[in-house]
Amino acid sequence: MRGSIPILRMGETLLATVHVDLHDAVAEAFQTDVLTAVEKRRTNGLVIDISGLDMVDTYVARILAQTGQMAKLMGTTTVLVGMRPEVSATLVRMGYMMEGVYTALDLDEGLALLKRLCKRRR
Amino acid sequence: MVIEARTRREMKIASEDDVALVRRAVRALAEAHRFDVFASAAITTATSELTRNVWVHARGGVALIEEVLDDERVGIRVTFRDEGPGIDDIERVLAGGYSTAKSMGLGLSGSRRLVDEFRLDSTPGRGTCIQILKWHPL
Amino acid sequence: MSHSKYMKTLKLDEAELRSRRAFFALSDEDLARLASLRSFADTHTEAIVDAFYELLLAHPDTRRFFPDESTVRRVKRAQREYFLGLFQGRCDLAYVEDRLRVGAAHERIGLAPRWYLGAYLRYLQIMQDRLFAEFPAAEARAAFASIQRLVWFDVSLAVDTYIAANLDAVGRHQAAIRELSTPVIRVHDRVLLLPLVGAIDSVRAQQVMDTVLLRVVEEKAKCIIIDIAGVAVVDTKVADNLVKTTASVRLLGAQTILTGISAQVARTMVQLGVDISAMHTLSSLAEGIELSLDLLGKTIISKPRGRANSARRGGDL
Repeated sequence: MRGSIPILRMGETLLATVHVDLHDAVAEAFQTDVLTAVEKRRTNGLVIDISGLDMVDTYVARILAQTGQMAKLMGTTTVLVGMRPEVSATLVRMGYMMEGVYTALDLDEGLALLKRLCKRRR
Repeated sequence: MVIEARTRREMKIASEDDVALVRRAVRALAEAHRFDVFASAAITTATSELTRNVWVHARGGVALIEEVLDDERVGIRVTFRDEGPGIDDIERVLAGGYSTAKSMGLGLSGSRRLVDEFRLDSTPGRGTCIQILKWHPL
Repeated sequence: MSHSKYMKTLKLDEAELRSRRAFFALSDEDLARLASLRSFADTHTEAIVDAFYELLLAHPDTRRFFPDESTVRRVKRAQREYFLGLFQGRCDLAYVEDRLRVGAAHERIGLAPRWYLGAYLRYLQIMQDRLFAEFPAAEARAAFASIQRLVWFDVSLAVDTYIAANLDAVGRHQAAIRELSTPVIRVHDRVLLLPLVGAIDSVRAQQVMDTVLLRVVEEKAKCIIIDIAGVAVVDTKVADNLVKTTASVRLLGAQTILTGISAQVARTMVQLGVDISAMHTLSSLAEGIELSLDLLGKTIISKPRGRANSARRGGDL
Protein backbone atom coordinates (compact mmCIF):
# COMPACT_ATOMS: atom_id res chain seq x y z
CA MET A 1 0.00 0.00 0.00
CA ARG A 2 2.74 2.44 0.88
CA GLY A 3 3.87 4.11 -2.27
CA SER A 4 0.70 3.41 -4.29
CA ILE A 5 0.48 7.09 -5.04
CA PRO A 6 3.80 8.44 -6.34
CA ILE A 7 5.08 11.59 -4.67
CA LEU A 8 7.77 13.60 -6.44
CA ARG A 9 9.86 16.28 -4.88
CA MET A 10 10.79 19.37 -6.89
CA GLY A 11 12.86 21.52 -4.56
CA GLU A 12 10.50 22.80 -1.89
CA THR A 13 7.42 21.53 -3.65
CA LEU A 14 5.86 18.10 -3.57
CA LEU A 15 3.80 16.70 -6.41
CA ALA A 16 1.42 13.80 -5.81
CA THR A 17 -0.44 12.23 -8.72
CA VAL A 18 -3.57 10.36 -7.73
CA HIS A 19 -4.37 7.83 -10.40
CA VAL A 20 -6.04 5.06 -8.47
CA ASP A 21 -9.18 4.74 -6.36
CA LEU A 22 -8.56 6.46 -3.07
CA HIS A 23 -10.08 4.21 -0.48
CA ASP A 24 -9.32 3.12 3.07
CA ALA A 25 -5.83 1.61 3.03
CA VAL A 26 -4.67 3.52 -0.04
CA ALA A 27 -5.93 6.81 1.35
CA GLU A 28 -4.33 6.28 4.70
CA ALA A 29 -1.02 5.31 3.12
CA PHE A 30 -1.20 8.37 0.89
CA GLN A 31 -1.68 10.71 3.80
CA THR A 32 1.14 9.07 5.71
CA ASP A 33 3.49 9.31 2.72
CA VAL A 34 2.67 12.99 2.21
CA LEU A 35 3.19 13.93 5.83
CA THR A 36 6.40 11.95 6.04
CA ALA A 37 7.75 13.78 2.99
CA VAL A 38 6.71 17.16 4.36
CA GLU A 39 8.38 16.40 7.66
CA LYS A 40 11.61 15.14 6.09
CA ARG A 41 12.48 18.26 4.14
CA ARG A 42 11.36 21.87 4.01
CA THR A 43 8.17 21.88 1.95
CA ASN A 44 6.36 25.05 1.02
CA GLY A 45 3.87 23.60 -1.36
CA LEU A 46 2.03 20.41 -2.22
CA VAL A 47 0.34 19.89 -5.57
CA ILE A 48 -2.16 17.06 -5.72
CA ASP A 49 -2.97 16.13 -9.31
CA ILE A 50 -6.37 14.47 -9.65
CA SER A 51 -6.68 14.60 -13.42
CA GLY A 52 -6.70 10.82 -13.38
CA LEU A 53 -9.84 10.62 -11.27
CA ASP A 54 -13.06 10.24 -13.24
CA MET A 55 -15.08 10.15 -10.07
CA VAL A 56 -14.74 11.93 -6.76
CA ASP A 57 -17.40 11.20 -4.16
CA THR A 58 -17.69 12.87 -0.76
CA TYR A 59 -15.40 10.26 0.74
CA VAL A 60 -12.56 10.99 -1.67
CA ALA A 61 -13.21 14.72 -1.48
CA ARG A 62 -12.90 14.56 2.29
CA ILE A 63 -9.61 12.67 2.10
CA LEU A 64 -8.19 15.30 -0.23
CA ALA A 65 -9.39 18.18 1.90
CA GLN A 66 -8.05 16.50 5.06
CA THR A 67 -4.67 15.90 3.46
CA GLY A 68 -4.53 19.60 2.66
CA GLN A 69 -5.44 20.51 6.23
CA MET A 70 -2.79 18.19 7.65
CA ALA A 71 -0.15 19.62 5.36
CA LYS A 72 -1.19 23.14 6.28
CA LEU A 73 -0.64 22.40 9.97
CA MET A 74 2.90 21.57 9.01
CA GLY A 75 3.35 24.80 7.09
CA THR A 76 2.66 23.52 3.60
CA THR A 77 0.15 25.06 1.18
CA THR A 78 -1.81 22.59 -0.91
CA VAL A 79 -3.23 23.11 -4.38
CA LEU A 80 -5.55 20.63 -6.08
CA VAL A 81 -5.08 20.49 -9.84
CA GLY A 82 -6.64 18.79 -12.84
CA MET A 83 -10.16 18.30 -11.57
CA ARG A 84 -12.33 17.11 -14.44
CA PRO A 85 -15.33 19.29 -15.32
CA GLU A 86 -17.84 16.51 -14.64
CA VAL A 87 -16.22 15.79 -11.28
CA SER A 88 -16.46 19.46 -10.34
CA ALA A 89 -20.09 19.67 -11.45
CA THR A 90 -21.03 16.55 -9.53
CA LEU A 91 -19.44 17.65 -6.26
CA VAL A 92 -21.08 21.05 -6.42
CA ARG A 93 -24.45 19.61 -7.35
CA MET A 94 -24.26 17.30 -4.34
CA GLY A 95 -23.68 20.36 -2.22
CA TYR A 96 -20.03 19.70 -1.55
CA MET A 97 -18.40 23.00 -2.46
CA MET A 98 -14.88 22.03 -1.35
CA GLU A 99 -14.20 25.39 0.19
CA GLY A 100 -10.89 25.95 1.89
CA VAL A 101 -8.99 24.18 -0.85
CA TYR A 102 -6.89 25.98 -3.42
CA THR A 103 -7.46 24.78 -6.94
CA ALA A 104 -5.83 25.29 -10.32
CA LEU A 105 -6.39 23.99 -13.81
CA ASP A 106 -3.18 21.99 -14.20
CA LEU A 107 0.32 21.50 -12.87
CA ASP A 108 1.72 24.67 -14.48
CA GLU A 109 -1.04 26.81 -13.07
CA GLY A 110 -0.74 25.04 -9.73
CA LEU A 111 2.95 25.80 -9.44
CA ALA A 112 2.38 29.43 -10.49
CA LEU A 113 -0.32 29.74 -7.83
CA LEU A 114 1.95 28.29 -5.15
CA LYS A 115 4.64 30.76 -6.11
CA ARG A 116 2.20 33.67 -5.68
CA LEU A 117 0.88 32.33 -2.40
CA CYS A 118 4.28 31.65 -0.93
CA LYS A 119 5.50 35.10 -1.91
CA ARG A 120 2.52 36.54 -0.08
CA ARG A 121 3.34 34.60 3.06
CA ARG A 122 6.82 35.98 3.35
CA MET B 1 -46.14 5.32 -17.74
CA VAL B 2 -44.81 1.83 -17.52
CA ILE B 3 -41.24 1.22 -16.48
CA GLU B 4 -39.96 -2.18 -17.34
CA ALA B 5 -36.56 -3.57 -16.49
CA ARG B 6 -34.76 -4.86 -19.52
CA THR B 7 -31.80 -6.39 -17.68
CA ARG B 8 -31.06 -7.01 -14.01
CA ARG B 9 -27.80 -7.70 -12.27
CA GLU B 10 -27.39 -8.27 -8.58
CA MET B 11 -24.05 -7.57 -6.92
CA LYS B 12 -23.05 -8.24 -3.35
CA ILE B 13 -21.60 -5.52 -1.17
CA ALA B 14 -19.42 -7.43 1.25
CA SER B 15 -16.11 -5.62 1.13
CA GLU B 16 -14.40 -2.35 0.33
CA ASP B 17 -13.45 -3.73 -3.07
CA ASP B 18 -17.11 -4.40 -3.87
CA VAL B 19 -17.79 -0.68 -3.65
CA ALA B 20 -15.49 -0.09 -6.61
CA LEU B 21 -16.92 -3.06 -8.51
CA VAL B 22 -20.51 -1.88 -8.19
CA ARG B 23 -19.47 1.60 -9.19
CA ARG B 24 -17.63 0.34 -12.24
CA ALA B 25 -20.57 -1.77 -13.32
CA VAL B 26 -22.85 1.26 -13.24
CA ARG B 27 -20.28 3.40 -15.02
CA ALA B 28 -19.95 0.80 -17.76
CA LEU B 29 -23.72 0.72 -18.22
CA ALA B 30 -23.91 4.50 -18.45
CA GLU B 31 -21.20 4.54 -21.07
CA ALA B 32 -22.79 1.72 -23.02
CA HIS B 33 -25.95 3.78 -23.25
CA ARG B 34 -24.00 6.86 -24.19
CA PHE B 35 -24.95 8.97 -21.20
CA ASP B 36 -23.01 12.20 -21.50
CA VAL B 37 -20.03 12.59 -19.22
CA PHE B 38 -21.96 14.69 -16.67
CA ALA B 39 -24.88 12.29 -16.41
CA SER B 40 -22.51 9.36 -16.20
CA ALA B 41 -20.55 11.04 -13.40
CA ALA B 42 -23.81 11.77 -11.60
CA ILE B 43 -25.16 8.21 -11.52
CA THR B 44 -21.72 6.74 -10.84
CA THR B 45 -21.02 9.06 -7.94
CA ALA B 46 -24.48 8.54 -6.41
CA THR B 47 -23.90 4.80 -6.70
CA SER B 48 -20.51 5.10 -5.06
CA GLU B 49 -21.94 7.11 -2.17
CA LEU B 50 -24.79 4.73 -1.53
CA THR B 51 -22.75 1.57 -1.95
CA ARG B 52 -20.19 2.89 0.48
CA ASN B 53 -22.97 3.71 2.94
CA VAL B 54 -24.17 0.11 2.79
CA TRP B 55 -20.63 -1.12 3.45
CA VAL B 56 -19.75 1.34 6.18
CA HIS B 57 -23.03 1.53 8.06
CA ALA B 58 -24.58 -1.87 7.50
CA ARG B 59 -21.45 -3.92 6.99
CA GLY B 60 -22.96 -5.56 3.95
CA GLY B 61 -25.84 -5.69 1.55
CA VAL B 62 -26.84 -5.97 -2.05
CA ALA B 63 -26.99 -3.71 -5.09
CA LEU B 64 -29.43 -4.48 -7.90
CA ILE B 65 -28.54 -2.77 -11.19
CA GLU B 66 -31.22 -2.55 -13.84
CA GLU B 67 -31.55 -1.09 -17.32
CA VAL B 68 -35.05 0.29 -17.45
CA LEU B 69 -37.31 1.55 -20.22
CA ASP B 70 -40.39 3.62 -20.42
CA ASP B 71 -42.15 4.78 -23.58
CA GLU B 72 -39.38 6.98 -24.74
CA ARG B 73 -36.08 6.47 -23.11
CA VAL B 74 -33.68 4.26 -21.31
CA GLY B 75 -32.56 4.69 -17.72
CA ILE B 76 -30.36 3.11 -15.10
CA ARG B 77 -31.91 2.09 -11.82
CA VAL B 78 -29.93 0.89 -8.82
CA THR B 79 -31.51 -0.51 -5.68
CA PHE B 80 -29.49 -0.85 -2.48
CA ARG B 81 -30.69 -3.23 0.20
CA ASP B 82 -29.17 -3.93 3.56
CA GLU B 83 -30.16 -5.35 6.91
CA GLY B 84 -28.23 -2.78 8.88
CA PRO B 85 -29.25 -0.50 11.71
CA GLY B 86 -31.60 1.52 9.56
CA ILE B 87 -31.99 5.29 9.59
CA ASP B 88 -33.57 6.96 12.57
CA ASP B 89 -34.44 10.42 11.41
CA ILE B 90 -34.96 10.15 7.69
CA GLU B 91 -36.10 13.76 7.22
CA ARG B 92 -33.00 15.10 8.87
CA VAL B 93 -30.65 12.85 6.98
CA LEU B 94 -32.21 13.76 3.66
CA ALA B 95 -31.93 17.42 4.52
CA GLY B 96 -28.22 16.83 4.81
CA GLY B 97 -27.88 17.94 8.38
CA TYR B 98 -27.26 14.65 10.12
CA SER B 99 -24.48 15.66 12.46
CA THR B 100 -23.60 12.44 14.24
CA ALA B 101 -23.00 10.55 11.03
CA LYS B 102 -21.99 13.42 8.84
CA SER B 103 -20.59 11.15 6.21
CA MET B 104 -23.89 9.40 5.66
CA GLY B 105 -25.87 12.59 5.66
CA LEU B 106 -24.20 14.43 2.86
CA GLY B 107 -23.71 11.33 0.76
CA LEU B 108 -27.41 10.53 0.99
CA SER B 109 -28.82 14.00 0.42
CA GLY B 110 -26.15 14.71 -2.13
CA SER B 111 -26.95 11.55 -4.09
CA ARG B 112 -30.59 12.48 -4.20
CA ARG B 113 -29.68 15.70 -5.99
CA LEU B 114 -27.79 13.83 -8.65
CA VAL B 115 -30.56 11.52 -9.80
CA ASP B 116 -34.03 11.83 -11.34
CA GLU B 117 -35.85 9.53 -8.95
CA PHE B 118 -34.99 8.63 -5.37
CA ARG B 119 -36.83 6.32 -2.97
CA LEU B 120 -35.88 5.50 0.57
CA ASP B 121 -37.39 2.96 2.94
CA SER B 122 -35.84 2.34 6.30
CA THR B 123 -36.82 0.72 9.57
CA PRO B 124 -34.48 1.24 12.53
CA GLY B 125 -33.15 -2.15 13.54
CA ARG B 126 -34.38 -3.88 10.41
CA GLY B 127 -32.62 -2.40 7.42
CA THR B 128 -32.72 0.07 4.58
CA CYS B 129 -33.71 0.05 0.94
CA ILE B 130 -32.72 2.90 -1.35
CA GLN B 131 -33.57 3.12 -5.03
CA ILE B 132 -32.16 5.64 -7.48
CA LEU B 133 -32.93 6.14 -11.14
CA LYS B 134 -31.26 8.28 -13.77
CA TRP B 135 -32.78 8.67 -17.21
CA HIS B 136 -30.72 9.14 -20.31
CA PRO B 137 -30.34 12.90 -20.62
CA LEU B 138 -31.45 12.83 -24.27
CA MET C 1 -45.38 11.56 -32.05
CA SER C 2 -46.43 7.98 -31.61
CA HIS C 3 -50.01 7.33 -30.54
CA SER C 4 -48.78 5.97 -27.25
CA LYS C 5 -46.98 9.22 -26.64
CA TYR C 6 -50.24 11.06 -27.29
CA MET C 7 -51.92 8.88 -24.66
CA LYS C 8 -49.29 10.05 -22.23
CA THR C 9 -49.31 13.70 -23.25
CA LEU C 10 -53.09 13.91 -23.12
CA LYS C 11 -52.99 12.08 -19.79
CA LEU C 12 -55.50 9.59 -21.13
CA ASP C 13 -56.04 7.16 -18.33
CA GLU C 14 -59.23 5.61 -16.92
CA ALA C 15 -60.05 8.70 -14.92
CA GLU C 16 -59.66 11.08 -17.84
CA LEU C 17 -61.66 8.74 -20.06
CA ARG C 18 -64.53 8.64 -17.56
CA SER C 19 -64.48 12.39 -17.24
CA ARG C 20 -64.49 13.00 -20.98
CA ARG C 21 -67.30 10.49 -21.58
CA ALA C 22 -69.35 12.11 -18.85
CA PHE C 23 -68.88 15.52 -20.40
CA PHE C 24 -69.99 14.22 -23.81
CA ALA C 25 -72.90 12.38 -22.14
CA LEU C 26 -71.64 9.23 -23.82
CA SER C 27 -73.28 6.49 -21.78
CA ASP C 28 -73.21 2.70 -21.88
CA GLU C 29 -76.76 2.93 -23.22
CA ASP C 30 -75.50 4.90 -26.20
CA LEU C 31 -72.82 2.32 -26.82
CA ALA C 32 -75.32 -0.53 -26.58
CA ARG C 33 -77.59 1.24 -29.06
CA LEU C 34 -74.70 1.65 -31.45
CA ALA C 35 -73.80 -2.02 -31.09
CA SER C 36 -77.37 -2.93 -32.02
CA LEU C 37 -76.98 -0.89 -35.22
CA ARG C 38 -74.13 -3.07 -36.39
CA SER C 39 -76.00 -4.66 -39.27
CA PHE C 40 -77.25 -1.26 -40.43
CA ALA C 41 -73.67 -0.13 -40.42
CA ASP C 42 -72.49 -3.15 -42.39
CA THR C 43 -75.13 -2.55 -45.06
CA HIS C 44 -74.33 1.11 -45.53
CA THR C 45 -70.57 1.24 -44.95
CA GLU C 46 -69.55 1.20 -48.59
CA ALA C 47 -71.94 3.94 -49.63
CA ILE C 48 -71.17 6.14 -46.64
CA VAL C 49 -67.42 5.88 -47.05
CA ASP C 50 -67.71 6.60 -50.80
CA ALA C 51 -69.82 9.67 -50.14
CA PHE C 52 -67.31 10.76 -47.51
CA TYR C 53 -64.42 10.63 -49.94
CA GLU C 54 -66.46 12.22 -52.72
CA LEU C 55 -66.29 15.39 -50.68
CA LEU C 56 -62.56 15.12 -50.02
CA LEU C 57 -61.75 14.33 -53.64
CA ALA C 58 -64.01 17.08 -54.99
CA HIS C 59 -62.32 19.80 -53.02
CA PRO C 60 -58.97 21.00 -54.46
CA ASP C 61 -57.38 21.60 -51.06
CA THR C 62 -58.01 18.08 -49.85
CA ARG C 63 -57.66 16.25 -53.14
CA ARG C 64 -53.89 16.55 -52.97
CA PHE C 65 -53.76 14.19 -50.00
CA PHE C 66 -55.07 11.45 -52.24
CA PRO C 67 -52.78 11.63 -55.27
CA ASP C 68 -53.51 8.23 -56.74
CA GLU C 69 -55.97 5.33 -56.87
CA SER C 70 -53.99 3.11 -54.53
CA THR C 71 -53.91 5.82 -51.86
CA VAL C 72 -57.66 6.30 -52.19
CA ARG C 73 -58.24 2.55 -51.94
CA ARG C 74 -56.01 2.26 -48.91
CA VAL C 75 -57.59 5.19 -47.14
CA LYS C 76 -61.12 4.00 -47.90
CA ARG C 77 -60.28 0.64 -46.39
CA ALA C 78 -58.99 2.33 -43.25
CA GLN C 79 -62.01 4.58 -43.15
CA ARG C 80 -64.37 1.59 -43.44
CA GLU C 81 -62.70 0.07 -40.40
CA TYR C 82 -62.98 3.36 -38.62
CA PHE C 83 -66.63 3.71 -39.43
CA LEU C 84 -67.44 0.19 -38.29
CA GLY C 85 -65.45 0.89 -35.14
CA LEU C 86 -68.21 3.28 -34.12
CA PHE C 87 -70.58 0.36 -33.78
CA GLN C 88 -68.47 -1.93 -31.63
CA GLY C 89 -70.37 -0.95 -28.52
CA ARG C 90 -67.31 -0.02 -26.55
CA CYS C 91 -65.42 3.12 -25.72
CA ASP C 92 -62.53 2.10 -23.55
CA LEU C 93 -58.83 2.98 -23.51
CA ALA C 94 -58.16 0.51 -26.32
CA TYR C 95 -60.77 2.28 -28.43
CA VAL C 96 -59.22 5.63 -27.59
CA GLU C 97 -55.78 4.40 -28.53
CA ASP C 98 -57.11 3.24 -31.89
CA ARG C 99 -58.62 6.63 -32.56
CA LEU C 100 -55.41 8.37 -31.58
CA ARG C 101 -53.52 6.22 -34.05
CA VAL C 102 -55.78 7.54 -36.79
CA GLY C 103 -55.37 11.09 -35.53
CA ALA C 104 -51.59 10.70 -35.40
CA ALA C 105 -51.57 9.39 -38.97
CA HIS C 106 -53.60 12.34 -40.22
CA GLU C 107 -51.44 14.76 -38.34
CA ARG C 108 -48.32 13.24 -39.83
CA ILE C 109 -49.53 13.77 -43.38
CA GLY C 110 -50.53 17.31 -42.54
CA LEU C 111 -54.30 17.05 -42.83
CA ALA C 112 -55.46 20.13 -40.92
CA PRO C 113 -58.36 20.11 -38.43
CA ARG C 114 -60.69 22.13 -40.67
CA TRP C 115 -60.73 19.38 -43.31
CA TYR C 116 -61.15 16.78 -40.68
CA LEU C 117 -64.09 18.60 -39.11
CA GLY C 118 -65.77 19.34 -42.41
CA ALA C 119 -65.49 15.70 -43.35
CA TYR C 120 -66.97 14.56 -40.04
CA LEU C 121 -69.91 16.88 -40.62
CA ARG C 122 -70.47 15.22 -43.98
CA TYR C 123 -70.30 11.85 -42.29
CA LEU C 124 -72.99 12.83 -39.83
CA GLN C 125 -75.25 14.26 -42.50
CA ILE C 126 -75.03 11.12 -44.61
CA MET C 127 -75.73 8.90 -41.62
CA GLN C 128 -78.66 11.03 -40.53
CA ASP C 129 -80.29 10.72 -43.96
CA ARG C 130 -79.86 6.98 -44.03
CA LEU C 131 -80.99 6.44 -40.45
CA PHE C 132 -84.21 8.36 -41.00
CA ALA C 133 -84.76 6.54 -44.26
CA GLU C 134 -84.34 3.16 -42.61
CA PHE C 135 -85.88 3.52 -39.13
CA PRO C 136 -89.02 5.06 -37.63
CA ALA C 137 -88.44 8.69 -36.56
CA ALA C 138 -88.17 8.13 -32.80
CA GLU C 139 -85.69 5.29 -33.18
CA ALA C 140 -83.71 7.16 -35.82
CA ARG C 141 -83.51 10.21 -33.56
CA ALA C 142 -82.19 8.15 -30.65
CA ALA C 143 -79.70 6.34 -32.85
CA PHE C 144 -78.48 9.57 -34.39
CA ALA C 145 -78.07 11.16 -30.97
CA SER C 146 -75.85 8.27 -29.88
CA ILE C 147 -73.78 8.44 -33.07
CA GLN C 148 -73.29 12.16 -32.66
CA ARG C 149 -72.03 11.76 -29.12
CA LEU C 150 -69.45 9.20 -30.12
CA VAL C 151 -68.40 11.04 -33.27
CA TRP C 152 -67.91 14.29 -31.38
CA PHE C 153 -65.99 12.38 -28.73
CA ASP C 154 -63.73 11.14 -31.53
CA VAL C 155 -63.41 14.67 -32.87
CA SER C 156 -62.29 15.89 -29.45
CA LEU C 157 -59.49 13.32 -29.56
CA ALA C 158 -58.48 14.37 -33.06
CA VAL C 159 -58.34 18.02 -32.08
CA ASP C 160 -56.33 17.27 -28.95
CA THR C 161 -53.94 15.27 -31.09
CA TYR C 162 -53.31 18.25 -33.33
CA ILE C 163 -52.70 20.50 -30.36
CA ALA C 164 -50.34 18.00 -28.76
CA ALA C 165 -48.42 17.58 -32.01
CA ASN C 166 -48.00 21.32 -32.35
CA LEU C 167 -46.80 21.69 -28.79
CA ASP C 168 -44.39 18.89 -29.46
CA ALA C 169 -42.99 20.74 -32.47
CA VAL C 170 -42.61 23.85 -30.36
CA GLY C 171 -40.80 21.75 -27.79
CA ARG C 172 -38.39 20.49 -30.40
CA HIS C 173 -37.70 23.98 -31.63
CA GLN C 174 -37.05 25.06 -28.09
CA ALA C 175 -34.56 22.25 -27.70
CA ALA C 176 -32.73 23.45 -30.79
CA ILE C 177 -32.74 27.00 -29.54
CA ARG C 178 -31.35 25.82 -26.24
CA GLU C 179 -28.43 24.20 -27.95
CA LEU C 180 -27.64 27.33 -29.85
CA SER C 181 -28.06 29.43 -26.78
CA THR C 182 -24.99 28.66 -24.74
CA PRO C 183 -22.53 30.47 -26.97
CA VAL C 184 -19.30 30.65 -25.03
CA ILE C 185 -16.98 33.09 -26.72
CA ARG C 186 -13.27 33.52 -26.28
CA VAL C 187 -12.81 37.28 -25.98
CA HIS C 188 -9.18 37.24 -25.03
CA ASP C 189 -6.48 34.74 -24.29
CA ARG C 190 -7.91 32.68 -21.42
CA VAL C 191 -10.93 34.89 -20.99
CA LEU C 192 -14.35 33.56 -21.94
CA LEU C 193 -17.65 35.34 -22.28
CA LEU C 194 -21.11 33.84 -22.09
CA PRO C 195 -23.98 36.19 -22.88
CA LEU C 196 -27.04 34.48 -21.44
CA VAL C 197 -30.29 35.39 -23.12
CA GLY C 198 -33.87 34.37 -22.56
CA ALA C 199 -35.63 32.08 -20.16
CA ILE C 200 -33.62 29.65 -18.11
CA ASP C 201 -35.47 26.57 -16.89
CA SER C 202 -33.79 23.85 -14.86
CA VAL C 203 -32.89 21.77 -17.91
CA ARG C 204 -31.25 24.70 -19.64
CA ALA C 205 -29.53 25.80 -16.46
CA GLN C 206 -27.89 22.39 -16.18
CA GLN C 207 -26.81 22.46 -19.81
CA VAL C 208 -25.36 25.94 -19.39
CA MET C 209 -23.29 24.87 -16.40
CA ASP C 210 -22.05 21.73 -18.16
CA THR C 211 -21.11 23.69 -21.28
CA VAL C 212 -19.35 26.39 -19.27
CA LEU C 213 -17.21 23.82 -17.46
CA LEU C 214 -16.26 21.98 -20.63
CA ARG C 215 -15.24 25.21 -22.32
CA VAL C 216 -13.24 26.44 -19.34
CA VAL C 217 -11.14 23.29 -19.50
CA GLU C 218 -10.94 23.33 -23.29
CA GLU C 219 -9.75 26.93 -23.42
CA LYS C 220 -7.73 26.76 -20.22
CA ALA C 221 -9.63 29.82 -19.17
CA LYS C 222 -8.65 31.78 -16.11
CA CYS C 223 -11.80 33.78 -16.19
CA ILE C 224 -15.34 33.51 -17.52
CA ILE C 225 -17.67 36.45 -17.75
CA ILE C 226 -21.34 35.51 -17.58
CA ASP C 227 -23.55 38.35 -18.67
CA ILE C 228 -27.13 38.05 -17.52
CA ALA C 229 -28.55 41.30 -18.84
CA GLY C 230 -30.60 39.30 -21.34
CA VAL C 231 -32.00 36.79 -18.90
CA ALA C 232 -35.76 37.14 -18.66
CA VAL C 233 -36.28 36.21 -15.05
CA VAL C 234 -33.70 35.77 -12.32
CA ASP C 235 -35.40 33.68 -9.65
CA THR C 236 -34.05 31.45 -6.88
CA LYS C 237 -33.32 28.60 -9.26
CA VAL C 238 -31.42 30.77 -11.71
CA ALA C 239 -29.49 32.49 -8.93
CA ASP C 240 -28.75 29.14 -7.32
CA ASN C 241 -27.43 27.83 -10.59
CA LEU C 242 -25.15 30.82 -11.02
CA VAL C 243 -23.76 30.17 -7.56
CA LYS C 244 -23.19 26.50 -8.41
CA THR C 245 -21.57 27.39 -11.71
CA THR C 246 -19.24 29.82 -9.97
CA ALA C 247 -18.30 27.20 -7.38
CA SER C 248 -17.54 24.55 -9.95
CA VAL C 249 -15.65 26.95 -12.20
CA ARG C 250 -13.50 27.76 -9.17
CA LEU C 251 -12.68 24.09 -8.71
CA LEU C 252 -11.24 24.21 -12.20
CA GLY C 253 -8.97 27.03 -11.12
CA ALA C 254 -10.85 29.83 -12.82
CA GLN C 255 -12.90 32.78 -11.70
CA THR C 256 -16.40 33.84 -12.66
CA ILE C 257 -17.45 37.42 -13.23
CA LEU C 258 -21.15 38.05 -13.32
CA THR C 259 -22.20 41.13 -15.27
CA GLY C 260 -25.39 42.70 -16.49
CA ILE C 261 -26.95 42.84 -13.08
CA SER C 262 -29.72 45.37 -13.15
CA ALA C 263 -31.03 47.17 -10.08
CA GLN C 264 -34.05 44.89 -10.08
CA VAL C 265 -31.97 41.74 -10.21
CA ALA C 266 -29.61 43.01 -7.53
CA ARG C 267 -32.59 43.59 -5.29
CA THR C 268 -34.02 40.14 -5.99
CA MET C 269 -30.74 38.37 -5.34
CA VAL C 270 -30.19 40.09 -2.01
CA GLN C 271 -33.79 39.49 -0.94
CA LEU C 272 -33.49 35.82 -1.86
CA GLY C 273 -30.41 35.64 0.33
CA VAL C 274 -28.20 34.48 -2.50
CA ASP C 275 -24.64 34.20 -1.27
CA ILE C 276 -22.67 36.14 -3.81
CA SER C 277 -19.61 36.64 -1.65
CA ALA C 278 -17.61 34.24 -3.79
CA MET C 279 -18.57 35.94 -7.02
CA HIS C 280 -17.32 39.03 -8.77
CA THR C 281 -20.42 40.94 -9.73
CA LEU C 282 -20.70 44.04 -11.85
CA SER C 283 -23.44 45.89 -13.60
CA SER C 284 -21.92 46.29 -17.05
CA LEU C 285 -20.20 43.92 -19.43
CA ALA C 286 -17.54 46.52 -20.19
CA GLU C 287 -16.52 46.64 -16.56
CA GLY C 288 -16.46 42.86 -16.56
CA ILE C 289 -13.98 42.74 -19.39
CA GLU C 290 -11.74 45.25 -17.65
CA LEU C 291 -11.85 43.20 -14.46
CA SER C 292 -11.07 40.01 -16.30
CA LEU C 293 -7.93 41.52 -17.76
CA ASP C 294 -7.04 42.87 -14.34
CA LEU C 295 -7.35 39.39 -12.86
CA LEU C 296 -4.98 38.16 -15.50
CA GLY C 297 -2.50 40.83 -14.52
CA LYS C 298 -3.08 42.77 -17.71
CA THR C 299 -4.22 46.25 -18.49
CA ILE C 300 -5.14 48.27 -21.55
CA ILE C 301 -2.82 51.15 -22.36
CA SER C 302 -3.13 53.76 -25.06
CA LYS C 303 -0.59 53.91 -27.82
CA PRO C 304 1.78 56.94 -27.82
CA ARG C 305 0.18 59.99 -29.52
CA GLY C 306 0.43 60.12 -33.31
CA ARG C 307 1.10 56.45 -33.66
CA ALA C 308 -2.48 55.29 -34.28
CA ASN C 309 -2.57 53.17 -37.43
CA SER C 310 1.08 53.96 -38.12
CA ALA C 311 1.80 50.28 -38.69
CA ARG C 312 -0.79 50.08 -41.43
CA ARG C 313 0.02 53.35 -43.16
CA GLY C 314 3.73 53.06 -42.81
CA GLY C 315 4.21 56.56 -41.44
CA ASP C 316 2.87 59.37 -39.28
CA LEU C 317 -0.60 60.72 -39.93
